[in-house]
Amino acid sequence: MSQFLNLFAAGLTSGAIYGIFGACLAVWFRVCNVLNLAVGDFAMFGAIGTAWLVQSAGLPFIAGIVVDLAGVGLAAWLFDWAVLHPAFDRGRGAHGIVGVFFYTFGLSLVLEGVARAWFGGDVWGAPDIWSGSALSVLDFHVQRAGILVIGLAVVSGLALWAYLRFTVSGRAASACGESTLGSRIVGIDSAKFRRRIFIGTAVLAAVFGIVESPLSGYTYLSGPTLSLIGTVAAGFASFRRPGRAVAIGLVIGVVESLLGGYVSSSYNDVLLYAILFGVIIFRPEVLGLSAEPA
Amino acid sequence: MPATALEVSDVSVSYGKFVAVESVTLSVAAGECVAVIGPNGHGKSSMVTAVAGLVRRGGTVRVFGDALPPGRPDAAVRAGLVLVPERRHLYPELSTRDNIMLGSYARTRRLGARRAWEDVADVLDMFPELAKLLDQKAGTLSGGQQQMVALARGMAARPKVLLLDEPCLGLAEAVARRVYDWLAQMTATDMTILLVEENPVHALTVADRSVRMYKGLVGVSAA
Repeated sequence: MSQFLNLFAAGLTSGAIYGIFGACLAVWFRVCNVLNLAVGDFAMFGAIGTAWLVQSAGLPFIAGIVVDLAGVGLAAWLFDWAVLHPAFDRGRGAHGIVGVFFYTFGLSLVLEGVARAWFGGDVWGAPDIWSGSALSVLDFHVQRAGILVIGLAVVSGLALWAYLRFTVSGRAASACGESTLGSRIVGIDSAKFRRRIFIGTAVLAAVFGIVESPLSGYTYLSGPTLSLIGTVAAGFASFRRPGRAVAIGLVIGVVESLLGGYVSSSYNDVLLYAILFGVIIFRPEVLGLSAEPA
Repeated sequence: MPATALEVSDVSVSYGKFVAVESVTLSVAAGECVAVIGPNGHGKSSMVTAVAGLVRRGGTVRVFGDALPPGRPDAAVRAGLVLVPERRHLYPELSTRDNIMLGSYARTRRLGARRAWEDVADVLDMFPELAKLLDQKAGTLSGGQQQMVALARGMAARPKVLLLDEPCLGLAEAVARRVYDWLAQMTATDMTILLVEENPVHALTVADRSVRMYKGLVGVSAA
């Protein structure tokens, strides 16, 4: 029983990573039909930037977090102003499949290069927000940072789900991705939604990096892996449902952990994705995906 | 004499070197329905989308005397100028209810979705057939039903001036007649309407007068 609980807790922690990046990707894709392949790099800047500000620049921890998040928000705003605004609002630049991937992939490479030049190749971790030894109940142990990671993922997923489901603003955000012209004719400023949600998810990813980095440590190369993990989780939530991306991310994490613990850690990814593909093909409604009518 | 609801003065639209609309001037009195008719590709839709602030334009547009800034559809909506566009441009993955509700976005954007819907639900009085389709995704509706949703979305904005661009495009003749029945209901409410239509037979069933647009220019006016 204790093995099951510990595998379950470890799975929830790794699942929260799937979930939160999936949610960030899904909510922005829903608004502008573009994948944010730099979302993991914003998390990396959250983690390493805060660690550097505190450990090397000597700022107090809270001040380091505030300065770091302000920097991430500013970087996201600058990218929107310099690249996304001319490309999508002024009709310049390439659209279609190039627009879906290329702009944010380019941003990811730029952020990676800046991080390498500034922070070097070391492993960095922001200070613990909730310090202390692992919490234990009998043989069940869970890291405090892990609890914060899971909590942040669940709260973020619920907040995004409620925003999209219960507010006019959330419906308007969805409408932007459905039809740009259709949203403009009712007075929705689609550029403003794209910008605000891009900046908001960048800052959320950075917060996640700060919270999670004491567990795993970050290097300048951590970003693309996190973005890829998020893309997988968002894909299982049809790239449109951030709340569902968190839920599916948690399930994926737990199943992956249990398969690794009880079957084989060598094949857990293979088994997990075999199961998921089977579900997508034969029971897509389980994941909230609809099959194309014949 | 009724006030001038919509005043379009010297409006021009260009796409690169191609001039789609050249110095168009027309006015619509309050409560009047004016049809802009003419063959496809002669600038009717460019003119009406420019008036709604969706494309860059020269010239001035006034709604009940207030000048609208060019390229600002949000300002046009707030001034009461609402466009029901060609090909509808609904939100296919959202429900019929959400599609209609978002017509009132400029007025209800800070509300919860439920209160915003209560604010616009009276548009169902005009389109009672939509009541049973409210929870259905708009993308799964028929062409005629989608046009009904587009009109209801326009009405949810409580327009002072309604711009209708080719409301029957792509619809079967029987469905097009239904659309014109709805338009007749709208004109009966003293709403100001500028109707763009390729088919003069349709347009003249509801319009008080018509103007013809040819090669980007407004031509002869007929009663």
